[in-house]
Amino acid sequence: MQTVFNKGSYETNIDVRDFIQKNYTPYTGGAEFLSGPTERTARLMDKINGLLKAESEKGGVLDVDTERVSSLLTYPAGYVDRENEIIVGLQTDAPLKRGVNPFGGIRMARQACEAYGFKLSDKVEEEFSYKTTHNDGVFHVYTDEMKAVRHAGLLTGLPDAYGRGRIIGDYRRVALYGVDRLIAEKEKDRRAYGKKQMSEENIRTLEELFKQIDFLKKLKEMALLYGIDISAPATNAREAIQWTYFAYLAAIKEQNGAAMSLGRVSTFFDIYIERDMRDGLLDEKGAQELIDDFVMKLRITRQLRTPEYNDLFGGDPTWTTESLGGMGEDGRTLVTRTSFRMLNTLYNLGAAPEPNLTVLWSEKLPEPFKNFCAKVSIDTDSIQYENDDVMRPIYGDDYGIACCVSAMKIGKQMQFFGARCNLAKLLLLSLYGGKDEKSGKQLGPEGESFKGVLSYDKVRAAYSKYIGWLCNLYVNTLNVIHYMHDKYAYEKIQMALHDTEVERFLACGVAGLSVAVDSLSAIKYAKVTPVYNEEGIICDFRTEGDFPKYGNDDDRADRIAVELLEEFSACLKETPAYRNAKHTLSVLTITSNVVYGKKTGATPDGRAAGDPFAPGANPMHNRDVSGALASLNSVAKLPYDCCRDGISNTFSIVPSALGQDREDRAENLCDLLDGYFGQGAHHLNVNVFDREKLVLAMEHPELYPNVTIRVSGYAVNFHKLSRAHQLEVLKRTYHGRI
Amino acid sequence: MDRSELWNTAGSIDSVYCGSGVDGKGLRCVVFFSGCNLRCPFCHNPETLFKGGEQIRAGELAERLMKYKPYFRRGGVTLSGGEPFLQKKFLLSLVDLLHAQGIHVLAETNGQIADGEILSVLDGVIVDIKNQEGEDLSVYRRFIVECGRHNISVQATCVLVPGKNDTPAKIAELARLLKNIPFQFLPFRKLCAEKYENLGLVFPYAGIEECDENALKNAENIYKSVVFDK
Repeated sequence: MQTVFNKGSYETNIDVRDFIQKNYTPYTGGAEFLSGPTERTARLMDKINGLLKAESEKGGVLDVDTERVSSLLTYPAGYVDRENEIIVGLQTDAPLKRGVNPFGGIRMARQACEAYGFKLSDKVEEEFSYKTTHNDGVFHVYTDEMKAVRHAGLLTGLPDAYGRGRIIGDYRRVALYGVDRLIAEKEKDRRAYGKKQMSEENIRTLEELFKQIDFLKKLKEMALLYGIDISAPATNAREAIQWTYFAYLAAIKEQNGAAMSLGRVSTFFDIYIERDMRDGLLDEKGAQELIDDFVMKLRITRQLRTPEYNDLFGGDPTWTTESLGGMGEDGRTLVTRTSFRMLNTLYNLGAAPEPNLTVLWSEKLPEPFKNFCAKVSIDTDSIQYENDDVMRPIYGDDYGIACCVSAMKIGKQMQFFGARCNLAKLLLLSLYGGKDEKSGKQLGPEGESFKGVLSYDKVRAAYSKYIGWLCNLYVNTLNVIHYMHDKYAYEKIQMALHDTEVERFLACGVAGLSVAVDSLSAIKYAKVTPVYNEEGIICDFRTEGDFPKYGNDDDRADRIAVELLEEFSACLKETPAYRNAKHTLSVLTITSNVVYGKKTGATPDGRAAGDPFAPGANPMHNRDVSGALASLNSVAKLPYDCCRDGISNTFSIVPSALGQDREDRAENLCDLLDGYFGQGAHHLNVNVFDREKLVLAMEHPELYPNVTIRVSGYAVNFHKLSRAHQLEVLKRTYHGRI
Repeated sequence: MDRSELWNTAGSIDSVYCGSGVDGKGLRCVVFFSGCNLRCPFCHNPETLFKGGEQIRAGELAERLMKYKPYFRRGGVTLSGGEPFLQKKFLLSLVDLLHAQGIHVLAETNGQIADGEILSVLDGVIVDIKNQEGEDLSVYRRFIVECGRHNISVQATCVLVPGKNDTPAKIAELARLLKNIPFQFLPFRKLCAEKYENLGLVFPYAGIEECDENALKNAENIYKSVVFDK
C-alpha cells in the first residue's frame, strides 16, 4: 500500500505551500548520504557534453528550426537518448536545436537566425507579416522622448523586442493537482468573472482566462506527444518531476523571456522521493538519478538570441533559477535531502552555470547544510546566496527568485521586468543641462550646463531634478511595454499556473551606482572641474584631491549611495504603474555593466569614457581597498526596503586568501555569509578562484573548458563571455591578502 | 586607567585590512601598527617600518573594528605591523576595549620584545622567526619561554628565502627551537617591490628569487622530519 499524504487545505484550494508544510521532512544532517552518478547518468551526460562541444564549435548555436514557430505543440517529441532518459521532453525535436519565437518581435528573430547562418523561412515571415508583435505594438506607441532616451542608453535593456520573462509559473501545481483540476479551477474563476461588470479590466481578465485554459489543454496534449497523460496528479517521484518539468518546458516553448526561472521545486520533489523511499520503491541512487536527469534537461534549454543580446547578457544564460533551502515560518528548515541532491548535481554532472542554483541563506540554516554549500561554492563557483531572513518576512516561505535577485511568492506574485536606468549617464546629463554627453543631443528639459569647479549642492539639486524627470518617463515607458506584452505576447501557460488574482510588481532598476556615488563623492569632497571640448561638450573632468569611495565602509560615501537609492525609489512611485503594479527597484546589471560603460562618457570619479561600470551594487574595481569585509559592509548598507527587486553583489576571492585548507575555507565562507547577511544584506555571488587560473583560462580555453564563474546574479561559462567581459572579470577586485 | 583614558590613548597605525582568512583562525581584521625595531631585508610591509601613518585613538579604532563583529564567529582582530609591541600603552588600551566587546585578539610580532604584561592580555601570538641573515635564535627562545609563563598560545611563521634559510642546517635549528609549536613557512614573495619603489626605499632582497612550490615542500619535509624525530 502506498503511504498516503497528510491532509490539508491544499486539497480544497490550490495551495502548494500548504501541501509542502503538511508533508515535507526537514533534513538537518550532512552530505554523507549522497550518491554519485550512475553509469546511465554518466553515459547520458557524456552524450550531452558531446552535443555541447559541437554547439560551441559551431559558434554557439548548434541548429535552428526556421520553419516553425515555437509553441507547445509545434514540434514532435524529441529525445537525447530515448532508451536511457528518465525524464523526457525537449524544446524542439532535437537537443540544442533552437526554436524561433517571433511574438516579441519578428526583426529580432530574423536577425538572430541570420547571425548564425540560418534564414527564417518564408512561411514564418509571411505568417508574421499579418501579425502585430509585441515589438510592433510598443513602437506604435513609443513617444519621441522614449525613443531618444532608449537610443542614448539612458534606459537600457528594455524588454521591447523579446519576451519580458522573470515570471515564475508554479510548475509544481501540475504535479500536485494534474492539469484537469487546474482547468476546473480556472473555469470556476471564469464563471465568477462572468458575473462582474464588463469593464475593460474584467474583459481583459476574462480573455486571459480563456487563453490560460486553452494552454492548459495544450499542455496536456504536449505531454501526450511523449505518451504521458498528465491530466491527473503525479503518483510517484518520477512522475512528480516529469509533470513539473513538462509545465516548465511548456513555458520555455511558449516564451523566450530573458529569465525563465524554475521556482522552488527541490523540497516539493523531496516529499515524493521520501514517500517512494519509505514505500521501498526508490533508493538513494535512484533518487539522485532522477534529480540528475532533470538537471541535465535544464542544462540544455536554449533560446535564440541575437549577438547584440549576448553583448548585453554574456554567456547565453537562461536564468533557470532554482531557489534552495531557507527557513519555514514555523521555524523548521526547508532544507531537505533533495536540497543536497540538487547541489550534488554539480559534482555528478560537473560544474555548470544552469540551472542557476540559489541558496536562500538564513542564520538558522542547519550548520551541515551551510558547510556543504560553502564547499560546493569553493569547488564549483556555481551557487549564489540570498538572504532568506530579509525576504521571508516580506514574501513568506514559499517564494522563489526570478532571474538573479527578484523575489516573488510562487504562483501568487509576478513582475513586469523593467531593465534599468543608467545612473552615471543621468548624472552627466544633469551636469550638461539635459543633453547627452555622447551626442550633444537634448534629451531632457533644458537646464544649466555646469562650468568651473562644481558645487555639490547645485549638482545634487540638478541631479534630483533630472531623476524626477527620468523616473516619470521610465515608468511611462514600462507601462507601454507591459501593456503591449500583455496584449500581444501574454504568458498563457505561466499565468495559468498563477492564482487568477495575482499581485504585480513593476520591477525597475539602476545601473552604474558605484560610478554615480563616487562621482558625487568626488564633487563633494574633492575639487572637480568639467572639461569642455571644441564642440562645447563635456568630454572629461579634472579632479583634484582625494575623496571617500564607496566600498570602504566609509559612511561619507556610502550615505550618498543610500540616499540616491531612496530618492530614486520614491520618485518612481510618483507615476502610477500599469495594472496597479507595485514599483520595485533593483541594483543589478548582470554583465551589461560592460555595455553601459561603453555608452557613458568620462565621469568625475576618474573613470575614463567607455570604461566598464562595476556590476550591480559592487564597488568600482580596485577602489575598495580596505579589505573584503569593508567592501561587503558598504554594500550591506544599501536598503532592501527600497530595493525590493534585489541588490546584487559579486564577490571574488582567491582560495589562498580565504583560509589555509578546504575545511578552514568552508568555515570562513560560512562566517562571511553569516556576517554579511546578518547585517541585512541581500545577495552575494561567490567566486573562489585564483586570478592566475582565470588568466590561464582566458589564454587557453582548451585547458579549462568548463570554468564557471559567477557574474552578478548568475553563473556563466567563462569561455562564453566576450573578451571584453573576460577582461572586466579579471579587473574586478580580487580580494586577496597573500 | 579609566575608560575615557583607555579610549583616548593615541597610537600610530598604517592601515586596517578587513577580511583576512590567513592571519589566525577565522575571519579577521588586521591592524597594521606603524614603526618597527627591525629592518628585515625581505620585509613585505615597508610602509610600516617607520612611525607615522595615521594617528588614531584606541577607542576610535576599536569602534571601527566593532563594525566587523558579525563576521567574528571564529575570528577577531589581529594586531600586526610594524611591530605592535612597540606601542605598549596603545596596544593594551585597544585590547582592553576589544575584550570588553568580546572580541578575540591575536598579535603578530617579531618576538624581540618579550613583554609579559602584553603577553598576558593577548588571546594568542604569532611570532615570526627571522633566521635569514643570522644564526642566533636565543631571543626567540626567551620569547617562547615568556609566552609559556603566561600560558598564551603561540604559533610561529618564518619567511623561507631561497639561498638564505633553506639549508637543512637552518631548518633543523628552527625545528629544534619550535618543537611542537604550530608552525608554517611563508614563501618569500616580491609582490612588495612596487611598494619600496613608491616609498623611495631600496628593497634589499630585490635580487633574490622568489620561493617556489618545490622549495617550500622541500623545507616543510625537512622541518617535519626533525620535529617528528624527537
